[in-house]
Amino acid sequence: MDNSNELTNTNKPHKKVLCIEDERFIGELYKRALDKGGYEVTLEIDGNKGLALAQSDEFDIILLDLMIPNLTGIEILRILRDPSKTPHLKAKIIITTNLEQREDVREDIEKQADGYVVKAELTPKELVGFLDNIA
Amino acid sequence: MAKSSDYLSRAKRQYLLRLLFALLVVNIILIATWYLVTTKVHAHILSNIKLEHALILIILAILSSLIGALLLTRSLLSPLRALWQQIVNLAPSGNTSPPNIDTLKVGRELVADLASQVMQLASATSDKLSSTQSPILSRDFIANNLPLPLFILDPQETIVFVNNKAGDYIGIKPEEMIGKNFYMVLDMSFPSDSTFEAWLKKAKESSATSSMSWERVRMNVLDNHPTLLFDLAAYYNKDNPEHYETMAVLFDHTKQYSQDDQAVSFVALSVHELRTPLTLLRGYIEALEDEINSTGNDELKDFMQKMSATGQQLTAFVNNILNVARVDNDQLSLKLQEENWGDIVNSAVSAISLRAKVRGINIETTIAEGLPSVGVDRLSIYEVINNLLDNAIKYSSNGKVIKVDAHMSKEGLVETTVQDFGLGINPSIMPNLFTKFYRDHRNRAQIGGTGLGLYLSKAIITAHGGNIWVRSELGKGSTFSFTVIPYSQLAAEMKNSDNKEITRGAHGWIKNHSLYRR
Repeated sequence: MDNSNELTNTNKPHKKVLCIEDERFIGELYKRALDKGGYEVTLEIDGNKGLALAQSDEFDIILLDLMIPNLTGIEILRILRDPSKTPHLKAKIIITTNLEQREDVREDIEKQADGYVVKAELTPKELVGFLDNIA
Repeated sequence: MAKSSDYLSRAKRQYLLRLLFALLVVNIILIATWYLVTTKVHAHILSNIKLEHALILIILAILSSLIGALLLTRSLLSPLRALWQQIVNLAPSGNTSPPNIDTLKVGRELVADLASQVMQLASATSDKLSSTQSPILSRDFIANNLPLPLFILDPQETIVFVNNKAGDYIGIKPEEMIGKNFYMVLDMSFPSDSTFEAWLKKAKESSATSSMSWERVRMNVLDNHPTLLFDLAAYYNKDNPEHYETMAVLFDHTKQYSQDDQAVSFVALSVHELRTPLTLLRGYIEALEDEINSTGNDELKDFMQKMSATGQQLTAFVNNILNVARVDNDQLSLKLQEENWGDIVNSAVSAISLRAKVRGINIETTIAEGLPSVGVDRLSIYEVINNLLDNAIKYSSNGKVIKVDAHMSKEGLVETTVQDFGLGINPSIMPNLFTKFYRDHRNRAQIGGTGLGLYLSKAIITAHGGNIWVRSELGKGSTFSFTVIPYSQLAAEMKNSDNKEITRGAHGWIKNHSLYRR
């Protein structure tokens, strides 16, 4: 990714990102890159707290790791996509994972989410580029 | 296995009993003659101990007959035992040392061939003799005593005969399989395009007798049953009586092959564990690069570039291993989507250009104008280009150029070449180049690598429906070429599916029959 993203993004209104990620270092790197890319980032490592934050509907983008404590990413995704549990959600949900999924499981997740990212396949800067295109 | 050793010991018992009886008769006659002769000559000495002497002589006769019979049986049965051993070796699991593959291949086809001839003979003779007269020659007797699953098909590929072993093996009663289409009953997957169906079709077209064997065939059976893994041998004879046209024999290797699969899974699992720390390292390198670039220290910038290039290389290596594991486990599935080929080539080249740059190598890319869009799986095809460029960089000396060229081929496919001006490839190793773990021995010391890149590239390209090949001259360099299919050609295939993309398995597992082909 080139540096032009940073320049253009700083001129836009800051988009709010909720990053539910229990790997602290990854969270730190994502936050740094997203901050630089003109996003406003909230980090959360716990599944339950992450869900509560997501349901507050304050965010434009939710980065959701699949392996997190207390509630799995898949459970959170299901609750966020269930109108009886989450009446309104403006945020786009991007799944971030390093897990090998069975094809059918992955397809099911991809259908419910707005994006699916394998963490090992993107550097933090490339993730910013990905979000710029999706949002 | 049990059956074969039973058969051998039964033969042994029969031989032993008959020989024992024959030798006993002969010995008693001999000893009695000798006794009568000696008693006549020395009647005065022996007359008193006549009874005891007779007993001793009888025991002597029995003992010598027994020893003689044993020895004779052994020597008579040794060729039979050797033959059995051969058959047992060809037969599935249980043998401890894995036999040589090359001799096995011949052996398997031979078994199918032999089985077919025996069946022919059996059906020919059973026409003339009633089965009660010659049970040993009846087809069912022979087939059911063969310790291998056996199927016989008629010209319509309908199952006309199945032996009991086959029923046991796949868990369906023989009588339930008879009269059904072979491909419907056996859901087989083959390791390459060379499938049973393809072979049989070819054999029928050329209407010539033919035999063939396949390794590592998979078959999904009942839901709660593990996948069967076996080698398959088949024999086709157009002129067989009673429409016994094709014969297929299965050699079970489920245990052995699934252990191989587990080894692959273990590697994949451990490599997978490398991904998280590696992702982190690359993330921090990227963050650090920003900081250092703003300081303007050229040496630090250079170090950072090299670190970043090394990180990329390591990531590519880890991805290669994971993907090879997927190919080998039939888990690599591609989603073919419409893509602009020039964009893909350019971004793959730019991703690796840093690695080339630190070696002082320049990559020149030429994309022909007006290339049609292609149907590819973006991530997988990236890895192919990445692997080819990685090789070109490895085998080029510093300061050289690598040329990448994308254009239309004569066959109407989109062809891409990656040309280096490096060491070139020794002609003797060319045939093995796309084999797993194969590397040029000359260069092993100087040039790192796993020998997985080309194997994986071939698997990915084949799954895309394309082709990959190489031209090389020692000392002048190598040119790797591959083709991908224009999207328009895939469009027809797309129409038939409600999806906007086509999912394909790795080259590894192409379903046997077009009914099942993904």
